[in-house]
Amino acid sequence: MIEFHLDGRSGVAPYMQLIHQVRQALRLGLLREGDQLPKVKDVAAGLAINPNTVLKAYRELEYERLAAARPGVGTFVTATLGGASLAAHGPLRRELQGWLAKARRAGLDDESIEALFLSTFRSAAEEDIA
Amino acid sequence: MIWLTWRQFRPQAVTAIAALAAFAILLGATGPHLASMYAASRVAGCQGNCDHLARNFLAAVRGIYPVVFTLGLAVIILAPAVIGVFWGAPLITREFETGTFRTAWTQTITRARWLATKLILPGLAAIAVTEGLSLMYGWWAAPIGQAARVTGGVNFPLGMGPFGLPAFDTHGVVPIGYAAFGFALGVTAGVLIRRTVPAMAVTLAIFAAVQLAMPLAIRPRLFPPVHATQSLAANFSGIQNQGPGGHFAFTLDYLDGAPGAWILSSGAVNAAGQPVSVMPTDCVHVAQTTGDPTQCLASHGISIAVTYQPTSRYWPMQWTETGIYLALALALAGFCLWRLGGRRLS
Amino acid sequence: MTAVIETEGLGKRYRRLWALSDCTLSIPAGHVVGLVGPNGAGKTTLLNLAVGLLAPTTGTIEVLAGPPRARPAQLARIGFLAQDAPLYAGLTVAEHLKLGARLNPGWDAEYARRRIDWLGLDPGQKAGTLSGGQRAQVALTLAIGKRPELLILDEPVASLDPLARREFLEDLMEAIAEREFSVVLSSHLIADLERVCDYLIVLVDSRVRLAGPVDELLATHHLLTGPRRDPATLPAGQRVISASHTDRQTTLLVRTSEAVLDPAWTVSEVGLEDMVLAYMREAAGGGRRRAPGYHLEVQQ
Repeated sequence: MIEFHLDGRSGVAPYMQLIHQVRQALRLGLLREGDQLPKVKDVAAGLAINPNTVLKAYRELEYERLAAARPGVGTFVTATLGGASLAAHGPLRRELQGWLAKARRAGLDDESIEALFLSTFRSAAEEDIA
Repeated sequence: MIWLTWRQFRPQAVTAIAALAAFAILLGATGPHLASMYAASRVAGCQGNCDHLARNFLAAVRGIYPVVFTLGLAVIILAPAVIGVFWGAPLITREFETGTFRTAWTQTITRARWLATKLILPGLAAIAVTEGLSLMYGWWAAPIGQAARVTGGVNFPLGMGPFGLPAFDTHGVVPIGYAAFGFALGVTAGVLIRRTVPAMAVTLAIFAAVQLAMPLAIRPRLFPPVHATQSLAANFSGIQNQGPGGHFAFTLDYLDGAPGAWILSSGAVNAAGQPVSVMPTDCVHVAQTTGDPTQCLASHGISIAVTYQPTSRYWPMQWTETGIYLALALALAGFCLWRLGGRRLS
Repeated sequence: MTAVIETEGLGKRYRRLWALSDCTLSIPAGHVVGLVGPNGAGKTTLLNLAVGLLAPTTGTIEVLAGPPRARPAQLARIGFLAQDAPLYAGLTVAEHLKLGARLNPGWDAEYARRRIDWLGLDPGQKAGTLSGGQRAQVALTLAIGKRPELLILDEPVASLDPLARREFLEDLMEAIAEREFSVVLSSHLIADLERVCDYLIVLVDSRVRLAGPVDELLATHHLLTGPRRDPATLPAGQRVISASHTDRQTTLLVRTSEAVLDPAWTVSEVGLEDMVLAYMREAAGGGRRRAPGYHLEVQQ
């Protein structure tokens, strides 16, 4: 069973934070197929957040086929992340290191690199949703 | 709601029971001896002129007895005021001051039922306590009362005819009315003023005013008074004031043939029934020489005109007065119900 | 979705001061509704009107499809926690539960007793000796013990320390998760409401300034930063809530349901607290004067 936490200052909506934490846990192997996610009531009480927020996160996970609700029992993990994608980490990491070196040679400092990366990442994410 | 009312009333109930118990103990410790003294004096079975027997008895009543006598009267007279101030006024003001009315009025209960229950339980207790005190005291003071009536009340510090101010107010059924009214008055003050201490003060002030106004202004007029004339020649006990220039006045506190009657006014009148305030000159001379112009005045046809309430009016007056106070209490209660239930308050 | 509270032109006046004016709301069921506004804005007045402790001066209000206090049966469906959790100081915790049982036919004694037990409260302790947080918890038990459909809380955590505050909100969320009911709670602190509310009403200076589901409000409010510009030049569909300018730069908070396509603007999301603050500032008349030529948009 994993435990959730909330970062009130991160600017990310609470339900998104919950989803990210489930995905992260799946990647790191803390959650496996068949594990039960914490009960809505316990999450709501533990974090002092609206139960609807938790429900929204769990529904999103269901939509992504990562979890499934069993009425009267709880919500359970139905798939894993990682595996195949872990294999792609190595080459991707090397590519990223190359790009970082290029950015530094071009004269960007840490904050500029971060800003460039984040803005590109966010606009790409928005395009995905649209 | 009955449980809640009782639970909130519990501290006051405990105090009341303690007070009743203390009073009962005091009366119980002194009453039997007083009764036996009375039996020994043989005033009760006496026929004819029992005056001297009664006076002997009253003279023997010394020491603690007059203290208890006066204390008892004070307790019964003050009880409705204390109830109004300490039971009535805080009843609603406490809820306003602490904000608990917001808790009470959002439970599944109508405000009418809430207030009615809060009125009825302590109200009935108020009546029971006050009337209980009165009945206990009545039992204790009965010997003194009877003896005083026989002597016409002259030998005892407080006028003990049944209509005498402390006597009427502390015996019979009027304490029921006073208690109900005092309580209802306190509650009404609380509903209107909404703060405890000012409500208590206003309750005390208004109650005192009413309790003074009733015997002085209203009670004498509850029933039409009886007019009579008493001759100076007859045996009378009265006080004769002689002022300068032959002015005089009579004050009568014992009416021939009507012991215990409530004398509202008395004065000297001539044979034609007109008030007389100046002595005829020959009587002035008699007064100066012998000091007692009574026979002289009588020979001029002067007698005493009296306005009074006979003793037969005692119980009708008791019931009527009680009825008035109860009606007032109910009217006040109705007003409070309307005020809290109809209008919504912040 | 049915509305738990519907008001139409609702107003309440005390002598010459309008505590609430022109309030028209339709609060949907099934939400945790946050009522936020500065002290004296009219929050307590609105909530007191909803439970029948006050009568309107103008307008109408309907709660659970009926006027407040129409019948005791309606009071049975509404739980109320007044400001400062007024309890009877001389009564014990257990006696307060008895009060709930005696005055409410729908009382769930088992649930109430379990709750007190779980909170670690001593049933025999007099309410006058409880801490602020404990009193709030007992009052909450009293309000939800009768199993209401609607729970109304007037500044329930205003006078509580941070831990008590958090525990109270945790409890409230658990109770909602267990058995669904609508909640309306007021606070002058936005931080309290951010985590728990999914519907927001902003009340400033006796008027409703903003009302709607939180998700929708956050999605339709945007912070626009760009070169200095007159807010009046914006398209009609974009309503400017607040504006601040330096000589070179303009920052606007706008409300719009369309996308902001003008490339001159940098569009960013706005947090709930900043959004509410902007409405409060606008209601207060633009706020304080600052040094000429320099306007600071304070991000807190």
